Amino acid sequence: MPNLNNYRSTVTPTWCPGCYNYMVFAGLQAAFSALNIPKHKLVINYDIGCAGNMADFLNTYGAHTLHGRSICMAMGEKLVNPDLTVCVIGGDGGIYGEGLNHLIAAARANTDIKVFVSNNYLYSLTTGQTSPTTPKGSKTKSTPNGNLNEPIDAIKLIENINPHVFAKRVDGRNPLELNKSIKEAMEFKGFALIDIAQECIAFGKQLKS
Amino acid sequence: MLSKTFTLKIAGPAGLGIKSGGQLLSKILIESGYSVTDYNEYPSLVRGGHNAYQITFSNTKAFAPHYNVDAFFAMTPGHWKTHVSEFTKNTLIFVDEDPKTLNLKKGKVLNLPLKELSTKLGSNLVANTISIGVAAYIFNLDLKIVKKLVAATYAKASDLNLTAVETGYEFAKDNFSKYRFKVAKGKKQKSPELYDGNEAFGWGFIQGGGNFYAAYPMTPATGTLHFLATKQKEYKLTVVHPEDEISAANMTAGAAFAGARAATGTSGGGFALMNEAVSLCGVTEIGMVYYLVSRPGPATGLPTWTAQGDLLHAIYSGHGEFPKVVIAPGDLDESFEMGAESLNLAAELQTPVIVVSDKFVGESSSNTKDLSKAKVKVKLGNIVDKADAGFKRYSLKTKTGVSPVSIPGTPNGEFLSNSYEHDEFGFSTEDANLSQEMFDKRAKKIQTAIKLAPKPILYGSDKAKKLIISWGSTKGVILEALKMMENEEDFAYLHIKTLWPINPELETITKAFKEIIVIENNGFSQLVTLLKSQFNFNPTEIITKNNGRPFFPEEIYAKLK
Repeated sequence: MPNLNNYRSTVTPTWCPGCYNYMVFAGLQAAFSALNIPKHKLVINYDIGCAGNMADFLNTYGAHTLHGRSICMAMGEKLVNPDLTVCVIGGDGGIYGEGLNHLIAAARANTDIKVFVSNNYLYSLTTGQTSPTTPKGSKTKSTPNGNLNEPIDAIKLIENINPHVFAKRVDGRNPLELNKSIKEAMEFKGFALIDIAQECIAFGKQLKS
Repeated sequence: MLSKTFTLKIAGPAGLGIKSGGQLLSKILIESGYSVTDYNEYPSLVRGGHNAYQITFSNTKAFAPHYNVDAFFAMTPGHWKTHVSEFTKNTLIFVDEDPKTLNLKKGKVLNLPLKELSTKLGSNLVANTISIGVAAYIFNLDLKIVKKLVAATYAKASDLNLTAVETGYEFAKDNFSKYRFKVAKGKKQKSPELYDGNEAFGWGFIQGGGNFYAAYPMTPATGTLHFLATKQKEYKLTVVHPEDEISAANMTAGAAFAGARAATGTSGGGFALMNEAVSLCGVTEIGMVYYLVSRPGPATGLPTWTAQGDLLHAIYSGHGEFPKVVIAPGDLDESFEMGAESLNLAAELQTPVIVVSDKFVGESSSNTKDLSKAKVKVKLGNIVDKADAGFKRYSLKTKTGVSPVSIPGTPNGEFLSNSYEHDEFGFSTEDANLSQEMFDKRAKKIQTAIKLAPKPILYGSDKAKKLIISWGSTKGVILEALKMMENEEDFAYLHIKTLWPINPELETITKAFKEIIVIENNGFSQLVTLLKSQFNFNPTEIITKNNGRPFFPEEIYAKLK
C-alpha cells in the first residue's frame, strides 16, 4: 500500500466538496509513490486557478507561479537540474489561455516535464467566465450572450506540433483511467500533457452540454 | 604641440564590413599603443541603409567618442551627407567621387577611388581594408602591426586583404602625404583586449559563476545572448532563447529557484513584459538578474539608438511593494564588474537585481584587460546544504531580511516558492499579522542592500565649486569633457552606480555643493525626479538629451565652460 501521506502537507484542501481535483490530487500521489520518487527530488509548479491551489496541499518542492507561467518555471528547473522530476498542475485558463505559447514551446522542445491540466471548460476560481475550451455558444458570466469562439482542442494541437510527445485526454470522472494515465505520463521519457476533462460542480451547469 | 586625441569614422551601407573593418582598426590602434573607444550607428535593417563606425583614440585614456571627426571615410558616394556637422575645417574627408562636384564647404575633401582600387584587386568587398591602409598611412601606424592583425582577422582571404592594405597605404603615400597627422606615439597598452559592454557583462556573468541565461532577442541587449551562446560548452552554461520575454524571465526564475546563478536580458519593451516576473521574484524571494539594455522608447522607438529612459521603469518595475536593487554600469569595466556583482547581490539578497545599461555602453567597445582571465569574488548567500524536518524557508528570524534557502534536491528542505503571500514554509496565508510580518521581513532587505550595493564614486575634490551628477553611460563623456576643461579643478563629479535603493550618503555628498549640474541622456531627467523623492534636492542646472544619440564630450564641454 503506497504511503500517500509522504507527499501531503498539513494543510486541509480547500476545493469544493465533490470537486474532481481531489481525484487528480490522489492520482498524482499514487503515481509518485508507485514510482518511488523521493519528495525532495520532486518539483511541482502550480498555475493560478482552482487546480493550482493544490500547491498548499503537497509538501514537495513547489512553485506557485504566476498565472500562465507555470510551464516556464518548470522549463528553467528541468534545464538546470535534469535529475529532478518536474511537474506542472494547472487549468484550461492558465495552460491553454494565458500560457498557451509556453505549452507549445515546451512540446516543441520535448523537455521532460509533465503537464496536468484540470480542464473544466471554465475559469472557475474567478467564478465562471469563458475559457479557451468553453464550447461555442455557451453563456458564461463574461459571455452572457453566448461565447463566440471555437474551443481549443489541446491534444490535437500538441500532437500536431510534435507527434513525439505524450499527449492524452482522460475522463476526469474515471479514477482508474486517470491514475493509469498519470503514471504513464510520469514514466514517459519526454514531454507529457494530460488533459483531464472535468465538470466544475459550482459553475459548470451554465455550459451548453 | 601634438594633438593627443584623434577621431576617425568609416561610413557606408550595411554589408560592406563597416563594423568589422572598424573593429579591426580599433585592434590595430590598441596594438599600436593607443587607448580606444568606439561608437557605432546603424539602422534597424540588414542590407543597405547607412552605417557608421567611429573610433576615438588617444595616447592617454580615451573615455568617450568625440563628436568632431579628424578623418572620415565614405565607403560609397554620398555617405558623408549626414555627417557634415561632425566635420571641422581640418577634417580629412575621403570620398569615392569628384570633390569638386560636392557642395562641401568644410574640411579637406579628398578623392579615394575605392571602387576603382578594389575592382583592380578583383573584389568589391575590400573597400574597408583599403581604407585601413590609408588610415595606417595618415596616422603613421606601423605597417607590420597592421598587416599582422589584418592577416589574423581575414585568415581565409589574407592575401587579398594584405594586398588591399598595401594598395591603400601606397595610394595614400602617393596622394595624401601632405595631410599626414602628427600623432604622438603610443606606448604598449596594459589593457590590450577590445570588448563591447554586452560582452563585458557576459564575461562578468561567467566569472561571477553565472550558469543560466535566457533571453529573447532584442536590440541592443542581444549581444550578450550571442556572446554567452558561444561560451556554453567551454563554461558549462545553459543559454536559452525561449518563446518570448515573459518566458525568458519566468524560466530564469525557475532556474534560480532550482539553484542556478541566473540572468535574463532584454531592452525596455521586453522588460515591460517581464515586469510581473520581477514582482514574482520579490515575493518568492528568488534572486535573479535582469540585464536591461535601454534604447529610446516609447514602444518600438528607435531600436538601434541610445537613451537612459528606463531608469524609473526599472526602479518601479513589478506591481506591489518589495525590495529590489537597480545598478547601472557607466562603462565597459563597470559592465564587467556588474555582470558578476549583480549575481552576488541576487544571491545575497534573494531579490530581483536589475542592471540598467544602454545601447551606448552595451554596444560600444573599448580596450581593457583580458576578461577571460579576470577574477572576481563569488558570493553564494545563505544556501543550506542540509536541512532538518520542519525547515522554514521564509524564517522570520532574520536581521537582514534574508532567510536561509534550500535548493530542490536537498532532503528535508522542501518548501513552496509561493507567488501568494505565505507563511514561513511558503504556504499561502491571508492572516493580517503574518502578512504584515512577511512584508516587513522582506522590507528589511532594503537596508541590507544599501550596505551591499556598489557605492557612488566622487571624482575630484569635495571642495570644488560645482558638482556634476550622473548615472550610467554619461560617465565616460563627462570624464572626457572634464579632461578638456581649462578649469577642471572647479568641478567634482558624482557617478551614482546604485540607483535603488538610494544610499543616504548621496544626500551628504550633494549637501556640500551649492552648484549642482545633473546630466542625463533622457528627456524627463529621471534621476532628478528620483533624488527629489528621497531628500531635499534642488540642482541648479539639468542637462538632458533625448534624440537617440549619446552626449558627446564637446557638447558637455560647451555647456560647462
